[in-house]
Amino acid sequence: MPRTLPVMRSLLALGVLCTVGAASAPQAQEEPGWAKGRPKTDAAMKMAPVPAFPVPTPADQLPVKKFKLPPGFKAEVWASGVLDARGLRQGEKGNIFVSSLFVANKVYVIPESGKHEAKVIIDNTPLATGIEIHKGALYLATNTKIMRYDDVEANLDKLGEPKVIYEKLPGGTDHSWKYLRIRDNKLYYAVGAPCNLCDPGEWAKIFRMNLDGSDVETIASGVRNTVGFDFDPKTGNLWFTDNGRDWFSEELPNDELNVVTRPGKQHFGFPFCHQGNIPDPEFGWGKSCDDYQKPAALLGPHAGSLGLKFYTGKMFPAKYQGAMFIARHGPWNRTKKYADIQVAMPDGKGGARLETFMTGFVENNNYLGRPVDFLVMKDGSLLISDDHAGAIYRISYGGK
Amino acid sequence: MTGLARLAVFAATLLALASPAGAQSKPRSGKAASPADLYAQRFATLCAACHGANGRSDMPGTPVLAGQHSFYAITQLFLFREGRRKNEPMTAVAKPMSDADLQGFANFIGTLPAVPAPPPETPPDAARMKKGAELAQQHKCVFCHGADFAGGQQVPRIAGQREDYLQMTLRGFKSGERTGYTMAMGEAVRQVTPEELDTLAYYAARFPSGGDAAASK
Repeated sequence: MPRTLPVMRSLLALGVLCTVGAASAPQAQEEPGWAKGRPKTDAAMKMAPVPAFPVPTPADQLPVKKFKLPPGFKAEVWASGVLDARGLRQGEKGNIFVSSLFVANKVYVIPESGKHEAKVIIDNTPLATGIEIHKGALYLATNTKIMRYDDVEANLDKLGEPKVIYEKLPGGTDHSWKYLRIRDNKLYYAVGAPCNLCDPGEWAKIFRMNLDGSDVETIASGVRNTVGFDFDPKTGNLWFTDNGRDWFSEELPNDELNVVTRPGKQHFGFPFCHQGNIPDPEFGWGKSCDDYQKPAALLGPHAGSLGLKFYTGKMFPAKYQGAMFIARHGPWNRTKKYADIQVAMPDGKGGARLETFMTGFVENNNYLGRPVDFLVMKDGSLLISDDHAGAIYRISYGGK
Repeated sequence: MTGLARLAVFAATLLALASPAGAQSKPRSGKAASPADLYAQRFATLCAACHGANGRSDMPGTPVLAGQHSFYAITQLFLFREGRRKNEPMTAVAKPMSDADLQGFANFIGTLPAVPAPPPETPPDAARMKKGAELAQQHKCVFCHGADFAGGQQVPRIAGQREDYLQMTLRGFKSGERTGYTMAMGEAVRQVTPEELDTLAYYAARFPSGGDAAASK
């Protein structure tokens, strides 16, 4: 059976179609957040978010031979059979930690050497998506709380109970899953807008907190949904991907690549202004895009821009030093699908130049794979997770 | 076959599944039988006692698989295997399955043509059918399941499904007891009353299904 993603009526089921209020219905039924703003046309009504397939693609059917990379680079399967593989982090002892999103409800560990077989260390935890490693501890953020497992690599057979460091996250399903980074003893996370498009209230922000959950501060506002950010090793600035609103049109707006230069003082536009120059047809009235921080680069319409990682290894050519890799997971609410890896090179003036690094994830408008997150290995090679195929690829450079 | 005899067959098939002969069935592992044939055989020994040889079950509470889609089938086998969809016999069946088994069974189920329901003993209640049709529009069931209720991809065919199974399923989604692969159905039935759910089950069960048009979906 072809592993096609649903693009037709089936897509509807993922969402909550039956709750979309009919004009004739006696009771006004509320739309789910992701469907707000969706045109009532047949084509649009057939689109809804797509979860990962319930079975990983067998190792010998993974699309590695279809991947295209710049000269000198090579792609190989690093691990397979990792259902719903999302976030990637590495422990000090070398173990690779892998999170998941809607399907697996797990966190895995994969040894750095050997056969790279994934072992489940956390199970039955919905939205076990945000992970980070710091001083021997695994931090895990779901949509409701942030936990810490101390000395995790010494306890892989039985992690024990985590210490809950924060449990005031708003939960919900829209843009509520997490991506984590730790820098200078501060934990960075975001709470996305609880909808496609709405007044997000106190959310749609990137925050940071002390590692014990105290002193929550706002780092950036007007951020609809970031699922990937990292610090520029040169400047220390936080760069992040932000997923643009849905349903505006097939080709607009673009996802954004943004950079925080004045922590806590910048507003990146949502829900008033999209991609730096399009006032929202509803929320944009009385607002000006000039009042919001412009993006550093545009990442494509409905691109599903996820993981972002500065390349800090030595294996790749000099042009990649100081550049960041960005995973475009691919659109669900756009007729023509695309998914790839981009490289963004900061131009030193607040912007960034984009270059396509890796393609081959889409065939006949169907996803063969969908990239999510990155890990730079000690040897300078790059791991890429793929939640659609349930795999992790390794990219290495051997010269021309 | 009596219910008891069926249970005996079922128990025997479980044993067969656990045996080496039953477990040797990963696609690509042997050249004797094609994966499709293999899972046709395994369906016959493992599933047919309850779900029917042609996929149309006549056992209370047991869903019709004829005309069901492979994508839907694999999501449900996955949920049974993971213990997220609660049903003891099905969890027992799915627990030992490999990913290749999930795919193999799902692929085979996807090849079963839709089979019309046996003629009802009494003709459908016209008023209730009309109400059911109205509710299906009002609650947008047709948006996902299609105007012909044939479903597609991960959306199940509900036309001609057993009424008792539909009723149990809809009530399960409403109470939260039944977990879906996505949250679609839980949210879909949130504001539908139990009486309306039963009417929808009545309507969908009597909705014409089967024939070439339906099977070719």
